[in-house]
Amino acid sequence: MTAVATPETRTASSPRPAAPRAPRLTRHQRGRLYHLPLAIGALLTAFPFYAMLALSVQPGQAVRLPDSLLPSSISFDAYSRALGSSSVPTWAINSTIYSVVSVVLVLLFASMAGYAFAKKRFFGRELIFWGFVAMMMVPHHLTLIPQFILVSELGGLDTMWGLIVPTIANAQAMFLMRQFIQDIPDELIEAARIDGAGEFRIYWSIILPQTKPIMATLGTFVFLWHWNDFLWPLVSQRSPDNYVLTVGLNTLQEQQVPLATIMAAAVVTFIPALIVFILLQKYFVRGVMMSGLK
Amino acid sequence: MATLALPPRAERDGDKQRRSVLKSNGALVAYVFILPYVVFFLAFRILPAIYAAVLSFAKYGLSGNVDFVGLDNYARLLADDLFWNSLRVTGVYTVLAIPLTVAISLAVATLCNRTLRGMSVYRTIFFLPVVTSPVMSGIIWVWIFSHNGPLTWFLNTLHLPAPAWLQSEIFVLPALAIVSAWSNFGYDMLILLAGMLAIPREYYEAAELDGTSGWQRFRHITLPLLKPALFFVVVLEIIRSFQVFDTIFVMTGGGPVRASYSLTFLIYDQGFGYFDFGYASAAGMVLLVITLVVSLAQRRLLGRSSS
Repeated sequence: MTAVATPETRTASSPRPAAPRAPRLTRHQRGRLYHLPLAIGALLTAFPFYAMLALSVQPGQAVRLPDSLLPSSISFDAYSRALGSSSVPTWAINSTIYSVVSVVLVLLFASMAGYAFAKKRFFGRELIFWGFVAMMMVPHHLTLIPQFILVSELGGLDTMWGLIVPTIANAQAMFLMRQFIQDIPDELIEAARIDGAGEFRIYWSIILPQTKPIMATLGTFVFLWHWNDFLWPLVSQRSPDNYVLTVGLNTLQEQQVPLATIMAAAVVTFIPALIVFILLQKYFVRGVMMSGLK
Repeated sequence: MATLALPPRAERDGDKQRRSVLKSNGALVAYVFILPYVVFFLAFRILPAIYAAVLSFAKYGLSGNVDFVGLDNYARLLADDLFWNSLRVTGVYTVLAIPLTVAISLAVATLCNRTLRGMSVYRTIFFLPVVTSPVMSGIIWVWIFSHNGPLTWFLNTLHLPAPAWLQSEIFVLPALAIVSAWSNFGYDMLILLAGMLAIPREYYEAAELDGTSGWQRFRHITLPLLKPALFFVVVLEIIRSFQVFDTIFVMTGGGPVRASYSLTFLIYDQGFGYFDFGYASAAGMVLLVITLVVSLAQRRLLGRSSS
């Protein structure tokens, strides 16, 4: 850290309007002062992640502070225990299928519907669209029980399709898709139609390539929603082989598994989310900022 | 559509032609495009919402039979201490979590609103908790709050008394509010930062020429112009606080002695703990009404402030 408060800088930053000012700090020097609170904030924010990592690699089972947070040697026993004996790899596969298949289906259906709502005229367009958008206000906890009954009637409890299917008509995704596609110029569609492109071809080769930025934003969001989703997988999946990572992690905690093993499993759960976030951060951040500016 | 000034002829023709091109493909194609989405949305969003309302007036038997019982479930709610307790828990949690989260987001957004070497690293770190699953953060924070965890160790080292956080009826909600603030401040911070970046630089430059202090500029330029973004963040946090579930489930299971038994936890517990679907749906309808009131109040207030 470079922010060292020298005596001069202290005088300069203290609010004494009447006294003759010490030589003003340059913009650059003043900027450096901000590193101190930012670094403290970052350390506090990162501490739980650090603790998770430190506990997962500590040799032995006993947790003793502060030694456990500053392990003098590193052991990957907890990882081999987490990945070897328990069901963590199975849960990881389930989480991956749940997230990836959902992303593909959500984006496909939302972009198709978003295109029609943005560029087509048909009877009931506004009514259907705004009706769907209004449904966003209905809390998930209310619809959870009927959704459970419905999936159970369809024979989808404790199956992968039963897990995925209720989550793929995503109102937020459809709304954002429609907003984005509205800004694509009609001339592009007209030109393609004059060239003899069919309806599906226009959607596939004209509209879809244009939606790449919003696809990346929504893809990141939807992936992380599903990867971190807990309540629906919790109630719909019964057998441990069908758990996703979040549900599995919770059962590990309930079963009094050694802390190091739980933390190792938590690290394994976090890594894919971290990679997706770091790679697509730009799009994710844009999505969040968009939500606030409306 | 009223056309007051007619555009030149050529343009109008183009307009007409475009409209006819858009129309010519017919509504049928449009229905085909929205069909998959509409089917799933009807089946898994709209139908369950209607069915939840129906269930709230019924008793759902384990064999799947639905017997209508009128307002019984709602009458039971009003007479149930557990329900009033869950409203109190949710209210206290909301009152604790929102100021904490919004204050931290505002402070961090203010710090982040400048060009500085390494800023992108700071922002990434502040955002990490947002992409963390509540289950995972719950597990880590259970350890942080535990009696042999770092928080107690730290307070003991300073010779300060350490509460039993998650085992204490008084401290369990503040502890959960801290976790909520840690999880969500990065998201709110970004929204506030977007609002701050939208404020024209000239305002600050002019104020600086007038010899104002940094605090004065924050108080008289940033805060008033940030009002819509702040408002949005507060509404977001209210809805989030009323729907908090995952962290409570993982960290406390509603305890100790139901001190963190929130409204969503009641819905889950009555629904999937006791399989009393009708009663749980009635509680769910209360959550819906609260959410609607907050959303509509937001719309009213926003409409007033913009007009």
